[in-house]
Amino acid sequence: MSSHPAWRALHHSAKRRAFQPATPYRCFSCTRQTQNQFKSEQDRMTHFGFTNVPESEKESRVGAVFSSVASSYDTMNDLMSLGIHRLWKDHFVRSLNPGSPLPAGPHRKGWNILDIAGGTGDIAFRMLDHATNINHDIETRVTISDINADMLAEGRKRSVNTPYYNTPRLDFVEANAEHMPHIPSASVDLYTVVFGIRNFTDKQAALNEAYRVLKPGGVFACMEFSKVDNPVFDAIYKRWNFSAIPMIGQLVAGDRDSYQYLVESIEQFPSQDEFRGMIQKAGFMIPGKGYENLTGGIAAIHKGIKPIVKV
Amino acid sequence: MASLRMPRRALPSLKSVRTPSSISTSTFTSTHLRPSVPSQSRSQPPQIRPYHSTLHPRLPDHTYNNSQTAILTASLPHIPTHGFSAESLALGARDAGFLDVSVQLFPRAEFDLILFWLASRRGLLRAKVEEGALFRRVADQAGRDVSSLDVEEKCRILVMERLKMNEDVKGQWSGALAQMSLLGNITLSLSELHALSNDILSLAGDSAVDASWYSRRFGLSAIYASAEMVMTRDPTPDLSETETFVNRRFEDKLALNQKIEGLSQCVSFVGNTAVGVGRSWGLKI
Repeated sequence: MSSHPAWRALHHSAKRRAFQPATPYRCFSCTRQTQNQFKSEQDRMTHFGFTNVPESEKESRVGAVFSSVASSYDTMNDLMSLGIHRLWKDHFVRSLNPGSPLPAGPHRKGWNILDIAGGTGDIAFRMLDHATNINHDIETRVTISDINADMLAEGRKRSVNTPYYNTPRLDFVEANAEHMPHIPSASVDLYTVVFGIRNFTDKQAALNEAYRVLKPGGVFACMEFSKVDNPVFDAIYKRWNFSAIPMIGQLVAGDRDSYQYLVESIEQFPSQDEFRGMIQKAGFMIPGKGYENLTGGIAAIHKGIKPIVKV
Repeated sequence: MASLRMPRRALPSLKSVRTPSSISTSTFTSTHLRPSVPSQSRSQPPQIRPYHSTLHPRLPDHTYNNSQTAILTASLPHIPTHGFSAESLALGARDAGFLDVSVQLFPRAEFDLILFWLASRRGLLRAKVEEGALFRRVADQAGRDVSSLDVEEKCRILVMERLKMNEDVKGQWSGALAQMSLLGNITLSLSELHALSNDILSLAGDSAVDASWYSRRFGLSAIYASAEMVMTRDPTPDLSETETFVNRRFEDKLALNQKIEGLSQCVSFVGNTAVGVGRSWGLKI
């Protein structure tokens, strides 16, 4: 019975809204203008989960989501993926093998890695560890770029416990990946974006920007949720996504809506083949099949190489 | 990757790739894969046309793109020192003007280098035969005519020639064999081995289309694979130990062939006799 007042409130609010005029301001002289304005806004709509929002609004909405989940980010990832996300990330970094084991040449000083949407430093610390411990490369450096200041703050907090704190090897930048004027063209060896590109307003613009900042021969590597290929497994996975994850979010992080957005954005993200097409469209070469499915396609690693232009 | 045949279209652009190595460039750049002499102008007697079916379209030459071929070709000179490893690939990428990170072009990493090595050596072998110099040289050494060499002898020459191509990487070959025997790589390694034995037999002029098609390829693959193992531990400079091993194996093969032939003759004779005896007793066979 406790749901009764809530239902009534909802009902009421819906009723109240129905009485509101569609266009609140409607004097004869400016009707046409208002209508046009409305239309142009309609044209540039984008996905925010399953709802459509104006492009201008998506950024702030995604920002709100990640600001609210920043502190419980790791616990939630562990619970949602049953710890598998750590294996994925380790595999991702190992397959990229950052840092060169060979003595660097005169004009090569380690790799310059740009980790987009890597606010909490998950990938960045792993890459620096790999370069240092496996390849004995102490020159390779990572720039963590994120649009969200709260996520970056979380990463800064964590970086204190790493050996890279306050060294030139690690850098934090708050930036929008679709437009990064502070990063010069052809300056980056490796561009990574892990579980981030899903939230971008204009993915193609971000890919084009990645193409611009990468050196010729540089690599774009992206790990993102993708489509499960086995229908039986897909059914189980969907069930888990839409039932369990928002509930875990509510119980642990006290925020159901953010995690509802998360699963909806996973559902909206293009399939492996479509996304490979987008990478190709940005101008990248695709090695082999172009992607590698992880855990039956729940996540996929996409790679692209910027070709060398022969003069 | 269905086919790893030697790239042909991409080759002219590779001439410019630097090959800084102690090993002579000509052994490594695959520029003479395709004979420049048109087939009509050769003074050789016409070879048997290989079996060709319109139902099976020609496989694409290769599945590597130009950048991949450039890096792989530039990596080959680093193999004797760095082995079939990611380091060789990275050095090759640097030589070809790419970055260290560009080895991401190869999803199979060093195994791609091994496959490229195998496929390119196979292409070189074919080119040598098509040029006609290989058999002529061996025949001249023996003081015989080229046409007097039979299929078996030609196979032996080709196997030895192919093994000699591995001489420079002899020290690294056990590493490559270990890579090839990994569970995920076995299929491609075996298909490459089949492609080699198939090439050797067709180059030797074998035209069998019966069940021996399979047994010949199987036998040759076995001989070649075991000879490779012997080669990795062969201390002699000109692989003479391997050569005697190969010769012994070919003799074994011949002996085995004769035994099987004798046995099958015997079985068919006994069978025929039994049927004849049965019929003479009035059985309706």
